[in-house]
Amino acid sequence: MNTNVIVTENLSKTYGKPPLQVFALRQTNLYIKHGDYIAIIGPSGSGKSTLMNLLGCLDKPTTGKIFIEGHDVSTLNENELARIRREKIGFIFQKYNLIPTLNALENIELSMGFAGVDSQLRTEKAKKLLEMVDLSKRLTHKPSELSGGEQQRVAIARALANDPSIILADEPTGNVDTKSGENIMSILEEINREGETIIVVSHNMTIAQRAKRVLRIQDGVVTEEYV
Amino acid sequence: MFKDHVKLAIKNLQHRMSRSLLTLLGIAIGIMAIISLMALGEGMQQAVTGELSSLSDVIVVSTGGGFFSSFGSGGTPSEYFTDRDIATVERTQGVRDVSTQLSASAFAEYNGKKTLISLTGMDVMVMTLQYSNQRLESGDLLTENDQNQIMIGYGIAHDTFEADVSIGERITINGKKFFVSGIFAKQGMSGFSSDSLVLMNSRDFKKLTGQSNISIIYLRVNDVNEVEPIAARIQDAINQNHGRKDFARATTMTSILETVQSIIGILQLVLVAIASIALVVASIGIMNTMLTSVMERTREIGIMKAIGATNQNIMSIFIIEGMLVSSIGGIVGIVLGIFGSQGLTVILNNFMMMGGSSNLAPVITLISVVLAVTVSLIVGVLSSLYPAWKAARMSPIEAVRYE
Repeated sequence: MNTNVIVTENLSKTYGKPPLQVFALRQTNLYIKHGDYIAIIGPSGSGKSTLMNLLGCLDKPTTGKIFIEGHDVSTLNENELARIRREKIGFIFQKYNLIPTLNALENIELSMGFAGVDSQLRTEKAKKLLEMVDLSKRLTHKPSELSGGEQQRVAIARALANDPSIILADEPTGNVDTKSGENIMSILEEINREGETIIVVSHNMTIAQRAKRVLRIQDGVVTEEYV
Repeated sequence: MFKDHVKLAIKNLQHRMSRSLLTLLGIAIGIMAIISLMALGEGMQQAVTGELSSLSDVIVVSTGGGFFSSFGSGGTPSEYFTDRDIATVERTQGVRDVSTQLSASAFAEYNGKKTLISLTGMDVMVMTLQYSNQRLESGDLLTENDQNQIMIGYGIAHDTFEADVSIGERITINGKKFFVSGIFAKQGMSGFSSDSLVLMNSRDFKKLTGQSNISIIYLRVNDVNEVEPIAARIQDAINQNHGRKDFARATTMTSILETVQSIIGILQLVLVAIASIALVVASIGIMNTMLTSVMERTREIGIMKAIGATNQNIMSIFIIEGMLVSSIGGIVGIVLGIFGSQGLTVILNNFMMMGGSSNLAPVITLISVVLAVTVSLIVGVLSSLYPAWKAARMSPIEAVRYE
């Protein structure tokens, strides 16, 4: 249809009821192309998380629409949203959010499992992904046996497991040391060079400035910054 | 997919090992109680059935209150059958082996103490029929040729006189001496108690008492299938002899069997109902543990949803977890129940003196095992349904929320 992977139309999110209504996001119109590398910056409470949740199909907008690869997802029910998340979106969280009872390999296989991938194929692919993030020696380690940087690399591998159209990374370097942070960013950039769309949310301007586009969000209003 | 959910559920259970084991133990105890009580009930059924079904061609005709009030209990009824009644019975078609049980009160004397007892006389054939299954403390059953010999119940041997009576000793009954040739073992609470029995053959009885007060008529029928109609015909005919509707009652072993079985059936039901309370408590235990686990795993559930798990995926993970706990608990419970029923039987046999050679043995039926497995699976599903639903409803936003 077009090369836009995400388009939002007058996207708004409010919390609470009229006189006490809080606008977390106002009338946002975004166009995000395939292969984009976008940083979203803004102080806490600015609406960053709200925007992330909406783009990641974790939450529904109050008004307005979101199109992912041309499909309107703002009207989908919970299970259809789950399918979109599974097929189109890969999440990377600040706190890694790996399943503590599963080892690195199993964590990656889990999201493929939800997508119904055959178990042999799953293991093969999970191994390949862990190799890509340089963790082939940590396949059977549980999250508690991995360092923060390693856990985040597992999370990146997991995000890529179902070949998503978009990678949403929420403060991906927020909980790791500078060196690991650098490592994580270079992996993300490598993925982007291969054509993956990446959206990074960050406080950190040095991280944000590496992106191709920077969106600043303040009081629920998104403005594009040109660097 | 299902396999993944099972794997995930197992990992979660392993992660909270001690809690899982305790929950599992609850179910195991509930199932154990049900299995062992069912086995016991089934054992009782089979013991009674085995004992009585060999007598399925026997009809017992008694006066007044019926079979249970006079059967072998040594009680002396106030009304007796007449010779005409015996003739009536003998004339009835399809009948063979008519014999009688005689009763009278008599004075017995042993070791200087005199006491009133009730005396029972019966043909040796009937005696054999009625008492061959019964445990003897010592001695033997009377045989056809024995003369002036008696068999006595446990109570007569040990509680009636000042000293214990043992085999070969003599008790004076109405002035005549009789040798004790057999003593019945203690029967206690059983309805067929022989504890206060003083038994002799009908020849000796008639010679001693000079009377033939027939309290019970035993007979057999040629065709087992005819036993019920013949019993009815005999009862009607004897009642007609006396011009009363309630003079006699003819009871078949089949009808006794049915009565006893239905009593045991009710008993069994009550026992299982009580045991089920344990299971209900256990299922509340599962629910409680699962709810705690759902709360603890809020974040994990959110993550799974964020990476694409549907509500159904989440529900099935939790329900499988509940089913695993309850079905493993169920299997453990079945094993414990098999041992438990053995233990219960030993206790019952010791304390209740269920009597005779009909020593109770627990019977584990396939049905009870299948039932136990099914029930535990159902309990697992039902008690995890609400926690699972609660988990499935959770918002994936929880996962990305800053803390």
